[in-house]
Amino acid sequence: MENAKALPLGKEPEKEPEIDVSKIVAINRQSLTDKLRAYCKKPFSLVLVILVLCAALLTAAAVIFIVVYTIIQGLPNLKGSLFAWEYNSDNVSMMPAIINTLFLAVMTLVIAVPIGVFAAIFMVEYAKSTNVFVKIVRMAAETLSGIPSIVFGIFGMIFFVEVVGWGFSMLAGIFTMVLMVLPLIMRTTEEALLAVPDSFREGSYALGAGKLRTIFVILLPAALSGIISGIILALGRVVGETAALIYTAGSSRKLAAGFLQSGETLSIHMYFLANEGLHVGEAWATAVVLIALVLIINGAAEFVGNKLKKEY
Amino acid sequence: MKKILLAVMSLVLACGIGFAAVGCNSENEKGGSDASGAIIVVSREDGSGTRSAFIELTGIETDEEGDRTIESAMFTNSTNMVLTTVAGAADAIGYVSMGSLNSSVKALKVDGVEATTENVLAGTYKLSRPFNIAYAKNAAADPIRDDFIKFIYSDEGQQIVTDQKYIALPEGDAQRTGAYTAPAGLSGTITVGGSSSVSPLMEKLIEAYEAKNSGVTIDLQTSDSTAGMTNAANGSYDIGMASRALKESESTSLNGMAIAQDGIAVIVNKNNSLSEITMTMICNIYIGQVTTWEQVRGDAE
Amino acid sequence: MTEEVMQEERAVRRQARVDPKELIMKIVFIVAAIVFIVAVVTICVFIFAQAVPALKEIGLFKFLFTTTWKPDTSGAGGGEYGIATMIVGSCYITAGALIVGVPIGFLTAVFMARYCPKPLYKVMKPMTNILAGIPSIVYGYFGVQVIVPFVRENFGGYGFSILTASIVLGIMILPTIISVSENAIRAVPKSYFEGAVALGATKERAILLTEVPAAKSGIVTSVILGLGRVIGETMAVVMLCGNQTVLPDSVLDGVRTMTANIVLELGYATDLHRGALIATAAVLFVFILVITLLVSLIRKKAK
Repeated sequence: MENAKALPLGKEPEKEPEIDVSKIVAINRQSLTDKLRAYCKKPFSLVLVILVLCAALLTAAAVIFIVVYTIIQGLPNLKGSLFAWEYNSDNVSMMPAIINTLFLAVMTLVIAVPIGVFAAIFMVEYAKSTNVFVKIVRMAAETLSGIPSIVFGIFGMIFFVEVVGWGFSMLAGIFTMVLMVLPLIMRTTEEALLAVPDSFREGSYALGAGKLRTIFVILLPAALSGIISGIILALGRVVGETAALIYTAGSSRKLAAGFLQSGETLSIHMYFLANEGLHVGEAWATAVVLIALVLIINGAAEFVGNKLKKEY
Repeated sequence: MKKILLAVMSLVLACGIGFAAVGCNSENEKGGSDASGAIIVVSREDGSGTRSAFIELTGIETDEEGDRTIESAMFTNSTNMVLTTVAGAADAIGYVSMGSLNSSVKALKVDGVEATTENVLAGTYKLSRPFNIAYAKNAAADPIRDDFIKFIYSDEGQQIVTDQKYIALPEGDAQRTGAYTAPAGLSGTITVGGSSSVSPLMEKLIEAYEAKNSGVTIDLQTSDSTAGMTNAANGSYDIGMASRALKESESTSLNGMAIAQDGIAVIVNKNNSLSEITMTMICNIYIGQVTTWEQVRGDAE
Repeated sequence: MTEEVMQEERAVRRQARVDPKELIMKIVFIVAAIVFIVAVVTICVFIFAQAVPALKEIGLFKFLFTTTWKPDTSGAGGGEYGIATMIVGSCYITAGALIVGVPIGFLTAVFMARYCPKPLYKVMKPMTNILAGIPSIVYGYFGVQVIVPFVRENFGGYGFSILTASIVLGIMILPTIISVSENAIRAVPKSYFEGAVALGATKERAILLTEVPAAKSGIVTSVILGLGRVIGETMAVVMLCGNQTVLPDSVLDGVRTMTANIVLELGYATDLHRGALIATAAVLFVFILVITLLVSLIRKKAK
């Protein structure tokens, strides 16, 4: 600025000659051989970098190994008859299990999403973080997210199956899964709401909107991407769950025609298919479908998250 | 830089696929040598009907000491795990239902008798147990339940038992009800549940029955024999299944009846040179008195 | 609290008084939050209500510290219920899985955060997410078909052992450890790295001796989260750990974990046996509570 002031009025400062950036050769840039030579002088760093690379390689190899192995085992067994509408002991169709899984997952979300989102709204928009009640709710949510699925299974069996008296049924499975995914939905919604800048709230209030209107018209749409990816993650969790559902939804291989009927999900279907040793190949085929399903769900979560993400 | 990256990535991919391929291959050729050294004892979980029939028949269970299976035996909760383990480990011994037996393992002759359905039927193969169904004594009369049981004992039902490689009740058995005719207008739902060994057979029976009675739905729940009996007694299941004889405490509250016979095959790895075993030896292995294959072979000679 | 905010609050409250909808919805939101508390309390009550009578009958000390597990399946009474072997088993497998999973996961996190070129990152990140998405039952079958024979042929023993379960569970917790640690390392201000390099440290030294200590709490959290997942893991463990109720002599011996015990026997357990299994779940629950407390303590300290 000082320079500009010093110039006489009306005269533009001289333009600097343009530089072709690509032609600059950075003097501090190391070539690969330079790097290697430097590492040789510092064995400690060399060991570290090798360890880091090995670890990354191991992780990648593990992922590829598991996925490729499952596909090699399962793909040859994927037959059209595995997707027949009716299950019978000859075609061991997984179609009823797929439909049961989707039905159970969707119903779980129908119940869990409003509760989880509303609780998150309360935590972020209404309560102050120093409030004791809020602390208890947070503690409860954290505990809930840490409980192992088998404990949920036992609880579901004692409470929904026996005390409430639903028996082995979709309803018992649904409510057990609701408890399992609630903390996940609440946490992701909370994070999404917190990411909405305060200026949105202030602007809305300034225009005369009430709190409720602000939440539903301004904040929730702005936080939608985070909420949806949370919901999809919850969906993935329901699809992959086994231990909690064996003791609640039961293992009937038929399509569950109603809420009070038992029906197995895809992972339980796989478990029982392999158990008697009669259909191991088909079990692997089910595993392929299961992994594909979970991957599609996770991919959708990522896609939605990226597509709807807004930077404020 | 990009080239290096591409090279590394393809290397990783190749490694992964290579591993997987090796993994698949090694599965086919594993356990190449004869059994030697310590015996790997494979057993089932406590509630399994197969186990309870097995320990009773071989004398592993005694009145005084109860179940004497050694605690260091491997316990699994499925027939498949027993088969997989024995197929993969040269030193393993296990037992499975004859209906689930496949070519990945070798069934031993017991006391010189081969494990075949004929021998079970003839009564020479000693390791056999009944498949039972049971319903609560205090349960109300249920036309569907009674008709389904009648179907199981009919010629059609028993034919299914034979088709599934289990042993049907002999012709002329008092239980058998002859040809089955479906009653008109039967409709409703019942639940059958219990032993995972019986459920593949039960599944076939249910399918055949439902084909004849379109109004009826039968739910099949798979767990294990003890769960089947307990749930039948408390009314959760209309019919319980057990792959063993009913215990005394169970038969006080349940009407139990055998629908078929099934053999229990004692299995070892294919590469094991042993082909015969005695009941006493089975018992000694499972209670931990014999721990190496050398001892077993020495005894056989 | 500033004057403005208080005014705003007051304005909102005034409006709430005017509009009953606001009030109703606020109550709805509160009720939704209460659901969480009710859920945890109900789970506690129902599990402990069934566990405590059983524990009384068995004796808490006997239950936790004796090693004989001989449930009474004949209905004649008696039976011995000691879960010491299973607590030990759970601890061994958890420790084993952490030994396998933490170094690899942590170093991979360092790679992802500081070494990984962008195009490779686009591949690596979804790959770790795949690992997180694979259902545990698939891990179980994978372990039975691949890791079990591998361990049996190369190390000896049954194959169904602490080692096998540790390897598979170690892989299972990788995504948890990688993503949480990576975020923690990324959150360290760039100036730490720059300062260290300016003082003459190599890149590795700068990362591992300056940035990593600064990200300590996040990394510890990732380990504890992994620990929670391993302790609670059921379906994969029951297929891999051998399920013997004896104290193991080496990592090649089988053990039974608390979760495996429940899933093996719950189906047919009655009376005291069932109570003992629910009590096992209660013990597990207490373990998880302690872990949750630890996490929140670490978070508090980090703040």
